[in-house]
Amino acid sequence: MLSIVVLYSFAYLLLMSASLFLFIFARRMVIQARERSDRLVYDAMERDLLEVLTGDDAGGPARAFARKHRARTPVLKRLLVAYREALAGRALEPLRVIFESSIRARCLRELRSPWLATRLQNVRLFVDFSRPEEAVHLVKLLHDKPVIRLAALNALTGIASQDTMSVIFDLFENDPEPNFYAYSNIFNSLGQRIEPFLRASLRKPLPPDKLALLIEMAGRLLLRGLYRDVVRFATHADKELRIRAARSLGRLLVPASSRTLCALTADPEWEVQAQAIRSLGNLQDWKTVPVLLKALFSPNWHVRYNAGYGLAAFGLVGVLQLQEISRQKEDRFAADMAAMVLDTLILTGGA
Amino acid sequence: MADILRLLVTGTESLILAYFLLLNTFYFLFNLLSLAGILRYRRLVTFVRFGEIFRMPIVKPVSVIVPAFNEGKGIVQSIRSLLSLRYPVFEVVVVNDGSTDDTLARLSEAFDLRLSKAVFRRSVPTQPIRGIYRSAVQPKLIVVDKVNGKKADAMNAGLNVSRYPLFCAVDGDSVLEQDALLKTVRPFLEDPERTIGAGGIIRLSNGCEVRDGQVVRVGMPRNWIARFQILEYLRAFLGGRLGMAMMRSTLIVSGAFGIFRKDIAMACGGYREASITEDLDLVVRMQKHMHERKKPFRISFIPDPICWTEAPESLKVLARQRSRWHRGLIQTLVRFRGMIFNPRYGVAGLFAMPFYAVFEMAGPFIEVLGYALFLGHIAVGRVDYPFAVTFFFVAVFYGTFVSLLAILLEELSSHRYPRPRDILTLTAAGVAENLFYRQYLSLVRAWSILDYLKGKNEWGAMEKRGFAKAGQAP
Repeated sequence: MLSIVVLYSFAYLLLMSASLFLFIFARRMVIQARERSDRLVYDAMERDLLEVLTGDDAGGPARAFARKHRARTPVLKRLLVAYREALAGRALEPLRVIFESSIRARCLRELRSPWLATRLQNVRLFVDFSRPEEAVHLVKLLHDKPVIRLAALNALTGIASQDTMSVIFDLFENDPEPNFYAYSNIFNSLGQRIEPFLRASLRKPLPPDKLALLIEMAGRLLLRGLYRDVVRFATHADKELRIRAARSLGRLLVPASSRTLCALTADPEWEVQAQAIRSLGNLQDWKTVPVLLKALFSPNWHVRYNAGYGLAAFGLVGVLQLQEISRQKEDRFAADMAAMVLDTLILTGGA
Repeated sequence: MADILRLLVTGTESLILAYFLLLNTFYFLFNLLSLAGILRYRRLVTFVRFGEIFRMPIVKPVSVIVPAFNEGKGIVQSIRSLLSLRYPVFEVVVVNDGSTDDTLARLSEAFDLRLSKAVFRRSVPTQPIRGIYRSAVQPKLIVVDKVNGKKADAMNAGLNVSRYPLFCAVDGDSVLEQDALLKTVRPFLEDPERTIGAGGIIRLSNGCEVRDGQVVRVGMPRNWIARFQILEYLRAFLGGRLGMAMMRSTLIVSGAFGIFRKDIAMACGGYREASITEDLDLVVRMQKHMHERKKPFRISFIPDPICWTEAPESLKVLARQRSRWHRGLIQTLVRFRGMIFNPRYGVAGLFAMPFYAVFEMAGPFIEVLGYALFLGHIAVGRVDYPFAVTFFFVAVFYGTFVSLLAILLEELSSHRYPRPRDILTLTAAGVAENLFYRQYLSLVRAWSILDYLKGKNEWGAMEKRGFAKAGQAP
């Protein structure tokens, strides 16, 4: 009995192995042939596209190009995506016309596909080629799976209007599992236009992690109009929010913030102290030099590190102070840190 | 008495057969899962622009840590490859672990190193550091010169000196493809709270042409031992690890190329110096740490980013390497035995650890036991030769079938071997490895338990030929 099973297994495996080998080989041949053919089509398309892009009139030739090449959709998509990377501004208009005349309808259809990967591929094309009136299709995808939702949000940032920004902020506020990196990328793409929405959200009782991102964005986008909204978080009970407030204040560079930051250098949490010291370094307020000097003698490494670089940011005066501290013998840790900062400054200058 | 003995032998043979069947069923399932995973990954990354990470304002910077012990022949090429990586913010921390060759001198000459007065937090204890050097021509490069410890100690020194929240462990004899970091870091951006580690595929640079720190031509080595290993790596990474990752059972992120969250690694105490395979040990500890704190996490495996490394081309060196890997596996499984079949540790405890214990750790012993029984049968003249020969061919063709599946997965994923002749060579290697190579490695791995019990803890030197010579026949 066992012999028969083994014999059958042998025959079966031999057949399977041979079939798999032939399949791999045949697939390789077919793919190589298709790649060669696609390459030829791609080159021909590229020549035509360059003519369209360098012509005076974008609309007519672009539509003619789309009519001519719409049959080879996969190659056309690749070409459009490649040129989308290389072009910017008004030069993108012919690509949009080609997209609308050739593949837009199909992409819209495939946005409703049951397959996640198909939906994702098509949303990604909309990231590059969408128009404001298409926001309605993208908004529908905001209730899809997280990966689709993010791609749709990315597409919406490309056609940002007051309505779409409102949708984005609503979604962020109500998102149960927000991907903060993606949202920060989106907010950053939207730029300073988000100030009113950011102000409104900062005044809402959102969870600390969401508030932390909003505070961070206020600093990153240099929204000085939000100074008052940010500074009130410097006394918040949540440590993370105090850190973010200190960081944003170091970016906003509002002179009045030096008093708040000096107060934060005495915070019970060393992370807050370290961030406040760093921001004071950015602020370069001469009155805060003694605070930075004192921080260089802190028992915490991060505080000393930020204080060292903070002093270096003051230029010659800071460097002289660092030299003095590096020579003193009372606190070896402060001396070592000062020596390291000076050494890095010299090396960076040399590089 | 004779009846009892016969019963015992028959029972053992049946157990070995059942084991063979079960093991191969698992491998087949992993391959199917990997196939699904690769097809899904291919579709998910269509039209993804990895370069968009450059425009992300708060993308996490990465410290690439490279422990180097006597890597003089290939270190400059490796570091050039790392410095030419496409990534917005990163630093390369090379840790010269008390090399006795000219590793430091070569680095110093190639990158104009200057002794720096850098001070750092000694978050994890290491052997004393002799000096920290910065390059006058490459601001991203930091070289740490320290007293010799082990690889884990060198990694810990790198962790202490590194500045960024993610770190990438790369071997000193490895070459990364330019986009490898961009692609591997993506899970940390998509799911930053839960992702604690991510690994990519390791490929063998034997037979490839490496120029200016990049693999410019992929080819097959002339050495058959290296060819067998190419196939083994394809099976292990594309068939095994991707399949395990699909089941959320990743237990290994290769030390040759993996990215981790530094805060979690530090919370676990960094790399453990006493460990023989520090990469496996760290990943298991990180998982244990997250499970015990009831924090959701994931460790991703990306089938696309590629790290090229040099494989041994002599049986002696290969045996040393495999013995160490197996001793490391035994050590880790014994050390974390409390996790095995423990529901507290999720899939890792209920599936991954038992799988590694039963099939990866015990596999070579069962295989060697089978060979011993067969030899015993020959000695007493009780061999059913037609059955034995057919069974042998079943084993050979099953091995070949799994190898062909791995080749198919390679074709579907990164498709790095351009010539059809390479498929033929790999298929031939898939058949030929069953004739001596597999048995040899099983014996080496089974023998390693004795070394483990004796407390053997050394690495054994790996003779490096350098990338310039890696493609040439010995």
